[in-house]
Amino acid sequence: MSGKIRSAIARLQAWFDRLFRHRWLRCTLLLLALPTLLLAGFALYGLWLFTRNVPVTYADPAEHFKYGSTRGEMASGLPYWIWQVLPQVCGQHLPDPRRGYASLGLIYEDGRDLPIGMSKRNYQGVDRTFLNCSVCHTSTWRETPGAEPTIVLGMPGNRFRVWDLQRFLFACAKDPKFSTEFVVPAIDRAMRERGERLGLLDRYAIYPVAIALMRERLLMLAGRFEPLMQYPEWGPGRVDTFNAAKVIFNFPMAALPEHEKNAPSDFPSIWLQRPREGMQLHWDGNNTSVEERNKSAAFGTGTMPSTIDVAAIARIEDWLLTLEPPPYPFPIDQAQAARGKTVYGEYCADCHGAGGRDFSGAHVGKVTPLAGIGTDRRRLDSYSRDLAVNQSTLYAGYPWRFTHFRKTDGYANMPLDGLWLRAPYLHNGSVPTLRDLLEPASGRPRSFWRGDDVYDRHKVGFVSDIDERDGVRLFLFDTSVPGNSNAGHEGADYGTDLSDEDKDALVTFLKTF
Amino acid sequence: MNTANPVAAPSKRKPRWLWWLLLALLVLGAVVGFAAWYKFFREEPQPDWVTATPEMRFKYGSIGAENEAGIPYWIFYVLPRMFPEKLPGPGGYAAFGVAWEQGQELPVGFTKKVVGFPRVANTCATCHTASYRTSVDGEPTYVVGGPGHTLHLSAFFRFLVDAAKDPRFNADNIMREINLVTELSWLDRLIYRYALIPITRKRLMEREPQFEWIYRDDFPDWGRGRDDGMNLTKYFMLELPMDDSLGATDMPSVWNLKKYDRPGTTMNFAGDSHDAYSVIIDSALGLMNAAPKSNEDFLGHVRWMQEYLSELPPPKYPFPVDAALAAAGESVFTRDCAACHASAITGTRQPLAGIDTDRARIDAWNAQHAIAANRVVTEFGIERKGLVEEDLIGYNPPFLDGLWLRAPYLHNGSVPTLRDLLRPPAERPSTFWRGYDLYDPVNVGFVTSGEDAERIGTFHDTAQLNNGNGGHVFGTTLPEQEKAALLEYLKTL
Repeated sequence: MSGKIRSAIARLQAWFDRLFRHRWLRCTLLLLALPTLLLAGFALYGLWLFTRNVPVTYADPAEHFKYGSTRGEMASGLPYWIWQVLPQVCGQHLPDPRRGYASLGLIYEDGRDLPIGMSKRNYQGVDRTFLNCSVCHTSTWRETPGAEPTIVLGMPGNRFRVWDLQRFLFACAKDPKFSTEFVVPAIDRAMRERGERLGLLDRYAIYPVAIALMRERLLMLAGRFEPLMQYPEWGPGRVDTFNAAKVIFNFPMAALPEHEKNAPSDFPSIWLQRPREGMQLHWDGNNTSVEERNKSAAFGTGTMPSTIDVAAIARIEDWLLTLEPPPYPFPIDQAQAARGKTVYGEYCADCHGAGGRDFSGAHVGKVTPLAGIGTDRRRLDSYSRDLAVNQSTLYAGYPWRFTHFRKTDGYANMPLDGLWLRAPYLHNGSVPTLRDLLEPASGRPRSFWRGDDVYDRHKVGFVSDIDERDGVRLFLFDTSVPGNSNAGHEGADYGTDLSDEDKDALVTFLKTF
Repeated sequence: MNTANPVAAPSKRKPRWLWWLLLALLVLGAVVGFAAWYKFFREEPQPDWVTATPEMRFKYGSIGAENEAGIPYWIFYVLPRMFPEKLPGPGGYAAFGVAWEQGQELPVGFTKKVVGFPRVANTCATCHTASYRTSVDGEPTYVVGGPGHTLHLSAFFRFLVDAAKDPRFNADNIMREINLVTELSWLDRLIYRYALIPITRKRLMEREPQFEWIYRDDFPDWGRGRDDGMNLTKYFMLELPMDDSLGATDMPSVWNLKKYDRPGTTMNFAGDSHDAYSVIIDSALGLMNAAPKSNEDFLGHVRWMQEYLSELPPPKYPFPVDAALAAAGESVFTRDCAACHASAITGTRQPLAGIDTDRARIDAWNAQHAIAANRVVTEFGIERKGLVEEDLIGYNPPFLDGLWLRAPYLHNGSVPTLRDLLRPPAERPSTFWRGYDLYDPVNVGFVTSGEDAERIGTFHDTAQLNNGNGGHVFGTTLPEQEKAALLEYLKTL
């Protein structure tokens, strides 16, 4: 057999020899070979480019929490450079065009090109960015208006305006300027300013396609989310969590019964998760598994079952198990705190735990029926049983398919670690300070300003009685808007009938949490 | 061949490379064959939790419907996300009023089983699990064997057909959705794209002509909690042409089946089948839409189900009962009701005259249909007493066990509550909403009006075909005290 092959090769060689005797043929072939090689090179480059999937990661879990990827960019990422130039292209849709993304309450650290809570990944040849967990769970406080803000990881993102971010992106997608004509030159300039160059492929192929795809995707999301945005805006620090969860399933939102719609509630703090394992988590206590709750929240950062970076989430998860809130930074009147401790033990400990780190108590982490707590019911109603059973299909086919979601009949009693940073209070953030919460609803502020980070150590919470800070308008929270009621958590059992001295003492004690 | 070596030696020894080629082809064929069997036909048992208790087995255990009627799991999974506008409301499959236990991947009566690939199919529990709540904010209680009065079965049938007909039902769109929720291997992606999606689409669309009558504008919809079983048999099993009949009746309760063991009783509202064994077989065959793969396995499962349902007790009334009043009611019952509902004629065929409830259901079926259907089942190699090969004459006076949970009342569910049933037909509600699961202990039945009932329920108009609420005037002239006492007693059945 090998002899046959050898003779075949010999014949082939002879054939080539005969062929290449012609000079014109040699030249033609040479000419043809060049573009062929070039094409092959392009193809290889394209293959390399479009199969790229390189995240920006950090060894330090705190840094990864702030800027690291959990792979949300794969399914939901916005092209990094489009994100960077959007405020120039359609900035008029931001709350304050002069301040760019900072007007959404996003926090920029010095020398950073992205705010806390946005991660980056090169996927299919395009740098992409999207939100991660910290965008809703990080914020700042200041002692005085002139002071430098202190960033606290894990505290409620009480300045982040996710409603305005949605509105901005959806409005941009509909803006005629969201086109190659406007976006690409803006990218070109922005890159030059950073000493980078926009390549030909990017300019003529990748970005024109990316712009079209991004617009298509944003318009799809707008179609799904906008029925939720026909209501008074949520303001900073709040999100309509479980109506957003319905969007995952593409429930026709406009067809929802009225009582389910529009249920914004505060971002929670996410410290000290280990002692919370087994508690009824979320404001209405609809899930008792920390890991499931985390994966559920991760849908908000653009992750899908097929794209989520389970390992990266697990790293952050582990870090959050023991992450502690910072101690109250101002002096505490110890004598008054001691008196407050007695009051706390009598009135609060059963539901809220023995202390700021000791979460033991008969009713801690358990749901109190709505009839007992009496706070605004919209958030409870927004979480429908139909949603709960649909959530049981999430992560189907994976060992961690959701199995813990349950419809409840009230709100869960939360441990109070780091309470001083968790203002405003109640699930819907309708009471600005702790001291206000100890008054009956009739004595609580009917409206106040949200979004300031200057601390009010007398009432314990953030300053809420001025309408702007450093020329930036704050958000007027009106408790008469549906969903915003500041009623409930009141009466003798809830401490609103205590003497003023006891109330002050209790508030002082709560500073130690 | 054109060389100097003529046909000289068609040598006894074929060239060795030919043998190698043959061998390679054989191996390749075996591998492909095995792969095809593995990817399309291998059966994996359901996980242990499914058969851990008889109740779980009834709710989630396969009856073998996955083979012919099964829908590939991931297609089933993404359909409500892709076509929410074709659902009766928001909520994915929950919008059909299925009994769906929290934490479960699929509703009660929906099975997931690997036959080559994971498939979803249905069991008897889909239609025979009842749901009720005792308060608006309360969690529903699911009663296995109870009538699935919330289930919008016709909407479910239409959803699948309408989704398949939609031009958006194509491999690109479906794969995009599937790829967001799971990571299929490249082979499974190919199988989905080039086999399962087109085949599923074709299969679902093939059902459209057979379902023609549930699309008719001049017919009322079945509405929640009803099912036109006889016409399903005619159009699917017998493949008869459409006629103008409509026989939608309430999903029946299937607990305590042993009561039908008494000789002389016949099954279903109109006594059209001989015994429970036959009814279970025929209903299961309907779900399977084909002959069983193995009659032995199938009939084994049927016998298990019959044993389970025979001993399954009806549920207790969940509200307080006034014992004294109920005792008084018992004597009213004995005097005025027992002759039909607790006697030798209970569960036997009785003429329509004298009862005079809506006759559309009995017009939907006749002896020829029964003979033809029995022949089909016999051809499957299944022996059973089967359908009664006679024309229908009326409705069987039913046994009343668990009556409180069997609202709305009469065979066609045309009377919302027991209190209404004790009113003369002219005073019964002429329209109401059915399929809402909040219980009304005052009137004994479900709440049939108000914002939630009207949002969730389907509209029942008694003026429409098959929906009449006339007849069964028994007890309508009783004095009010006796009605109250009787109602109290009926709660205890």
